[in-house]
Amino acid sequence: MRSPRAWKGICLLLTGALLAGCGGSGDDGSGPVTLTFQSLSDQPAAIAATNAIVDSWNETHPDVQVDVVPAGWDGIYDKLITQFNAGSAPDIVHYEAAGIAQFAADGYLADLTPHMSPQTREDIPPGVLDSVTVDGKVVAYPTELQTYVVFANKALLDRAGVPVPTGPTMSWTQLREIARAATKDGVHGLSWGLSSPTSTFVAMAPAFGGQYFRGRGEDAELSIGPGEMALPELVRAMAYEDRSILPVTLTQSGSKALAPFYAGQVAMTVQGSYQAANIAKDAPEGFEWIALPPLAGSVGPAQAANPQTLSVNADSEHVAEAAEFLEYFTSTENLVKLNAADALIPATTSAREALAEELGTQNGWDVILASGEHVTSAPYLFVSKYAQWKDTVATPAYQRFLAGEIDADGLARELRDGWQSTND
Amino acid sequence: MRSLVRPAQYLALAVYLVFLGFPLVWLVSASVKSSGELNSLSVSLLPQEWHWDNYAQALERQGIVRSAFNSLVVALLSTALVIVIALPASYVLARVKGKVRMAGVAWILVSQVFPVVLIILPLFLVLRTLRLTDSLVGLTLVHMTYMLPFALWMLQGYVAAVPVELEEAGAVDGAGRLTVLRSIVFPLLTPGIIATAMFSFVSSWNEFFFALVLLQSPENYTLPITLKMFIGGEGKVALGPLAAGAVLAAIPSIVFFSLLRRKLTSGLMAGAVKR
Repeated sequence: MRSPRAWKGICLLLTGALLAGCGGSGDDGSGPVTLTFQSLSDQPAAIAATNAIVDSWNETHPDVQVDVVPAGWDGIYDKLITQFNAGSAPDIVHYEAAGIAQFAADGYLADLTPHMSPQTREDIPPGVLDSVTVDGKVVAYPTELQTYVVFANKALLDRAGVPVPTGPTMSWTQLREIARAATKDGVHGLSWGLSSPTSTFVAMAPAFGGQYFRGRGEDAELSIGPGEMALPELVRAMAYEDRSILPVTLTQSGSKALAPFYAGQVAMTVQGSYQAANIAKDAPEGFEWIALPPLAGSVGPAQAANPQTLSVNADSEHVAEAAEFLEYFTSTENLVKLNAADALIPATTSAREALAEELGTQNGWDVILASGEHVTSAPYLFVSKYAQWKDTVATPAYQRFLAGEIDADGLARELRDGWQSTND
Repeated sequence: MRSLVRPAQYLALAVYLVFLGFPLVWLVSASVKSSGELNSLSVSLLPQEWHWDNYAQALERQGIVRSAFNSLVVALLSTALVIVIALPASYVLARVKGKVRMAGVAWILVSQVFPVVLIILPLFLVLRTLRLTDSLVGLTLVHMTYMLPFALWMLQGYVAAVPVELEEAGAVDGAGRLTVLRSIVFPLLTPGIIATAMFSFVSSWNEFFFALVLLQSPENYTLPITLKMFIGGEGKVALGPLAAGAVLAAIPSIVFFSLLRRKLTSGLMAGAVKR
């Protein structure tokens, strides 16, 4: 690089790039209020639905304009914690209930209790409202949620000679019997992606009366009893006694566990409800699949709620305007649009009913939306060290248990001792 | 026996190339498979049918071209700055003995032990004061700062490998200090500079965390941020478009490496012999 012309070229390139990077609009404080809305919508249809809702708001509210700032789910906690600590978080924050409790406890989220209309409050099922209520204050508007659903290959169920359950719910005993009956001729009854089992077990424990935690924050206590142990023990019995679960899937993600379902190697699969959209898209031609009724344990079909949420930054200068936008965003009509696009279950009763009416039985929507009726409070959302316990203690312990390396007593002991050491 | 050695070497090389190249081939193959095929148990290296929609989605959905341009600007700028600063500094570090060198080495080592999550908040506050949080300039400065210690460490090793006797011989022949540096030392350092530039470029090109936290506006997003947006919540991954985006993302790096590769070897002994 001896040519002076070449050096000049590089200098110009650098200078140009610097100037380009320096570009930006100033904010002189005049004109309409502008709210920044950091959205995590990730599917093309959901992004379009979110933008359409925001556009319609902006058209009808010239004094309060909303700017959508798209962001991804990956690494969002680190981004948010930095933004909150540095005082530069957006006005409206999209996240999930499992993540906002600590933000609220640290004072980063505005109290939306006085802003939430009585109609909206009544429209949110109590279990879902609990998941966004911290110290008696509503800190977020819930928008979308998922449940765990059983999808079945109808041809394999017919071949197994088992009646397809059609009632409002299906017991775990029924599921076990169907899986056992369908396990023959190289086919397994069930695939279940349990590579990260803690979230699934904690979410489905309420069906057996399992709560895992009592109390909140740093004072929470872990309880491992029959209600918490019922589901892991059932899964292990199906895997090792009945041999009705395809073993490899216990070490895979939920998405990976769909492959043997498509290939006709398993009759059923337990998946997040949103997978209905993927199954409809990816299943081989002629593959006849159905969603089975919501699973009920010894105390009912309850599952813990962890909805996606919209909160308002406590440091925002326009909390009231932001809350007004959230009222609009979570109206029945808008939640129907958003959840239909995202293949998730609306967090309000009216939107769930409207979506059920709109979509009918296609792609198992009737069953999936029915499962949304049974969501309940999730005590783990409010436990300060839950994430640490989940990653460092519970997940490896459950993995060892499902691999047959430790027994039920050993699992319970590891979970309790691990919680103790996590809190020391 | 000796006649078998060469074929065996070629065979080993071929196996090694297949080992190295397989992930890339798999990536390209995945980028043209349909979603159904990617989620099927019938695994095949070649797609059953070519599905170009993934590329269209990668290009349209997340503005990947703009992100690639941003990444390129940041990577080239930070690489240039790193080299400009590290080159004289590494010379001093390698040639000067005593406490200054010890302090320099200690600084380099200490700066490498902090996890990024620990320094991101003070860094964010500093950049916010400078109004550089959501700008490519701010990100460039961060990348440069973060890569500089390792670049210094790399380059001072190359400088130390240049015999001082060559400089002394130049001086004996009547060359001034700057002439010795320009005509003897720097040409010998070319491979080291190129290797350091490659390292810096790739580090900046792939950097995710700083970009994630510092950049707010989609028009400023770099490629890693854009690609991560194909991974959604609830375990949703748009595998086909992600693979297509990753293939497109690899192209500038491959071009950059191709351009510099020849320099890496051609500069190896340049300047060693006085002409």
